[in-house]
Amino acid sequence: MKINILGSGITKFGEHWDKDLLDLAMEAGNEALNNSGLKSEEIDAVIVGNMLYSKASGQDHLGALIASNLGIKSSSSHVEAACASGGLAVHTASQGILSGLYENILVVGVEKMTDFSTSEVSTALMGAASEEERQAGLTFPGLYALMAKAHMKKFGTTREQLAAVAVKNHFHASLNPKAQFPFEISVDKVLSSSMISDPLTLFDSSPITDGAAAIVLSSAKKSEVYISASAVASDCVGLAQRDSLTEVPATQIAAEKAFSQSGLTQKDIDLLEVHDCFTIAEILAIEDLGFCKKGEGGKFIESGATKLGNKLPVNTSGGLKGCGHPVGATGVKQIIEIYEQLKGAAKKRQVKNAKAGLTQNVGGTGATVAIHILQK
Amino acid sequence: MSASQIWRLHKKLHKYLGRKGKLLVWTKISVPPSGFEDFIPYLSGIVEFENGEKLPVQIVDCTDEDLKPNLKVISVIRRGKKVKPEEVIEYVVKVKPFDSAQGRPAS
Repeated sequence: MKINILGSGITKFGEHWDKDLLDLAMEAGNEALNNSGLKSEEIDAVIVGNMLYSKASGQDHLGALIASNLGIKSSSSHVEAACASGGLAVHTASQGILSGLYENILVVGVEKMTDFSTSEVSTALMGAASEEERQAGLTFPGLYALMAKAHMKKFGTTREQLAAVAVKNHFHASLNPKAQFPFEISVDKVLSSSMISDPLTLFDSSPITDGAAAIVLSSAKKSEVYISASAVASDCVGLAQRDSLTEVPATQIAAEKAFSQSGLTQKDIDLLEVHDCFTIAEILAIEDLGFCKKGEGGKFIESGATKLGNKLPVNTSGGLKGCGHPVGATGVKQIIEIYEQLKGAAKKRQVKNAKAGLTQNVGGTGATVAIHILQK
Repeated sequence: MSASQIWRLHKKLHKYLGRKGKLLVWTKISVPPSGFEDFIPYLSGIVEFENGEKLPVQIVDCTDEDLKPNLKVISVIRRGKKVKPEEVIEYVVKVKPFDSAQGRPAS
């Protein structure tokens, strides 16, 4: 049985002062439904990926809230797995399709972050960390800074190599009309921006973003592009409990499962969308997914190999850094970027002859990782 | 946190009094979460105690220039994030440099 992608919808990512969470979910959800060719009564289930909204706003029951406003009366649910909420929502939908319980499922990933102060968002995001990390005053930039410092010490990764991730992703974002930051930046700009947590600066970090992304999955109707693998792995929530600070084992485990499910290897993958919440995260992702040797991710990216038009384009959407990171929507947006690339609909950022792509969506510092492979 | 959550937390604190270990990795945080605004910039990292247990902690009584990998540290109990006057004060484990030659905390 194939998990066919029938249609997608996505809002512009950015600061939507005039829209609330429901407005964003409706815009993306209705667009995905229209593009799928299905009517709302043909949808068997709605699965919503969201991390922060119930905690920050007090509004719970997001599954029914969004489904009912879309005119859908079937099953609805809300999936939360920190910044991997979107990827987990797609994984949950894939389970529903493959089990045979549902034929057509709408997945909506959505987050409304700009209604809250930076401090409130930072505190709410730390709900995805351990109690000990919160007591230590750590933040997610702080935790990824620890991983960056460990990688720099062990492998000689440089600040310039970290900055190269942000520079490349901003270039890709400059080609994406849905991106929050559609403009280019320089290595110097990254290095000279304000320090958040040593060695990570503001321009090493993904932003606070509003946005929604939606897809319709189906076993009943055929489509050109389908999901050939959907895999998830988990690990300790606290970073200190891991054996290594320079690896994300959940990425390695989920990737092994995904390649096994699809029957593909790294050589068959034409492009990646990975979770660059901070620049070091993209370096870790490329290494842990097996696209370069451990410790060589910085050099690999600095060589230009992951830029559009070169060996292995990574984050052609602009990634979390350039396109934005509405946390519950990110995992679904990654799927949409690969879907558009495989359909040949990515316009200025089109990867030529793309036949297979992989997405990696991370919760916390790697306590949850969702990986999907799309093919045509 | 509620008073009962803090009470449960404080019951475990004695396990960490005066424990020695080494600093594995650290960062200087300039943009803090709520309650840590008065501390910035401050140092947080991961230490490994002599029994092999690793813990994320705030590093106090020093500057980042004093820190180096495998620096000897000793745990202390200090006030945690800032709370309102009517709230229960939260105490947490922190570490400070330990002068092993002198057998006492580094001055």
